[in-house]
Amino acid sequence: MRISSFKKYFQVAKTSWSGGFVYRLNFVMWRVRNVVQLIAIYFLWFAVMSRNPTAFNYSTSQMLTYILGTSIIRALVFGQRSIDAQGEISSGDLNNYLVKPISYFRYWFSRDIADKLLNILFSIGEITILLFWLRPEIYLQTNPLMLVSFLLASLLAMVMYFYFSFLISMTTFWIPEENGWPQRFFIFVILEFFSGGLFPLDILPPAVYAVLGKLPSAYFLNTPLQIYLGRLDLSQIVTSLFMMAFWIVVLRLLANRTFRKGLKIYGAYGR
Amino acid sequence: MKDMSVISVRHLKKYYRVHEKEPGLKGSIRSLFTRKYTQVKAVDNIDFTIEEGELVGFIGPNGAGKTTTLKVLSGLLYPTSGEVSVLGFNPWDRKAQFQKQFALVMGQKNQLWWDLPPMETFILNKEIYEVPEDQFKKTLDKLIELLDVKDILKIQVRKLSLGQRMKCELIAALLHNPKVLFLDEPTIGLDVVMQKVMRDFVKQYNRQFKSTIILTSHYMGDVKELCERVIIIDKGKILFDGKLQNVIDRFARNKIITVVFSRDIDQRKLAEFGNIREYQFPRAKINVPRKDVAKLSAKLLSDFPVADLVIEEAPIEAIIREVFTGKMKQTNA
Repeated sequence: MRISSFKKYFQVAKTSWSGGFVYRLNFVMWRVRNVVQLIAIYFLWFAVMSRNPTAFNYSTSQMLTYILGTSIIRALVFGQRSIDAQGEISSGDLNNYLVKPISYFRYWFSRDIADKLLNILFSIGEITILLFWLRPEIYLQTNPLMLVSFLLASLLAMVMYFYFSFLISMTTFWIPEENGWPQRFFIFVILEFFSGGLFPLDILPPAVYAVLGKLPSAYFLNTPLQIYLGRLDLSQIVTSLFMMAFWIVVLRLLANRTFRKGLKIYGAYGR
Repeated sequence: MKDMSVISVRHLKKYYRVHEKEPGLKGSIRSLFTRKYTQVKAVDNIDFTIEEGELVGFIGPNGAGKTTTLKVLSGLLYPTSGEVSVLGFNPWDRKAQFQKQFALVMGQKNQLWWDLPPMETFILNKEIYEVPEDQFKKTLDKLIELLDVKDILKIQVRKLSLGQRMKCELIAALLHNPKVLFLDEPTIGLDVVMQKVMRDFVKQYNRQFKSTIILTSHYMGDVKELCERVIIIDKGKILFDGKLQNVIDRFARNKIITVVFSRDIDQRKLAEFGNIREYQFPRAKINVPRKDVAKLSAKLLSDFPVADLVIEEAPIEAIIREVFTGKMKQTNA
């Protein structure tokens, strides 16, 4: 990317950041929702694990670390503003970008990055408070190779989810009703479970895990956290990272093609 | 042969497919399974060219195809068929080189960030269009002065009035000094004072920057004051393309004679001259055929006690209205 191009998208992120602070109430509510959900799941698993120190092949500290870890990875992977693209496609505000020398994908990616940063900051703050309050046993990964793999997997999950989510947004070209929310909501609900947001996926019956674990959704939360917990061996880690890279290429291609196709039928509504 | 026009449109067609839904729940359920589509000819085979520095008015009723044409010229819509070239580019390719040279302003849409002060959008656009710092400052200062918006730059856009917002929309669109400007209903919803400010600005901008401008408007005032050339469009077809004065010459059948009498007169006798639009002693307004206007006014002067007499064109609004309602077809032929 050229320097001027970088400046362009840096400015987008900066403007988005200042816009984010304007929606203070909205943001705070969103964070509160996250924390309440996290605490609910935490206590559920705390109750389960206090009866049996190991369950489903997880130690208490592993399970609780997984649950608390989802909060930070969730902020990194799922934190986004780019769902607003749906509204723009549906209302015709997409026009504003199509007439400018700017890539719609990079525009939203920049805004997402800004949003993720804000969310991660808050998430880390929340977790710190929870750690002081609940004082749970925490699993600390010390192997540098695992830590680097965990970081890499988290970043790949973030990029992968961006293209996946954008692909969902693109359906609004064909189903513009309700700003594309019916299809988005459907995905949200499924994803919560399929990505490992409620519990690690490998506690499921092996037959079910064999399927769910292979779906792209498993890479969003489950895989990075499994790597952190040291539950994958090196060959599994390498395979996972390659699969994520593969999915990024596929999803990116699909999102791009769908966008171009969508533009051809785009009515540039609004009158 | 190379086309030297800034904008050239040949045999442009844009057809939409829209689905029809029967009213009510039954219709909704039925439309889930079978959808009936109809074709809408938004733009139906139009041709025109526009030269550098021209300020052209696009007029036509709602749904005539004005906005669709502008959207095709901006690269927002993919034409069904035909050729379009703007500054030598095919708009649909949406090349950055092209996009840096034009701007589209829609009176009913906004590009300003709703929750931030307008200045934030200006700075963002500076980076998007890669405008050098010194040029940005110079252009911005000039636009701020021309539109008198110095005091509102740091106020959230959502708190601005429609007029203030429209001014800022214009600034946001012009910061990169576009050579071609498409203005879609820029004065819609504005009060008369603000309409005048906008018109004056567009006129001045066109003159100072030699930019090529297409303006669509419902308000004839905009077009009358700004555009020498108009393109009248209805149901996707061009009805007229030429000087505004020629619209009047070609389409206006009547002129209006206003007479002030010094004594009361016999109205029946006056009716022989033409269609009396209003009569309230001492003033009468009569529609008379254009070709007879000299003869009839001479006769008026000799037959009646006339204190004053004025001959005027019918208002342009009325002429255009007649063009659209098709009353003029015979005279047009």
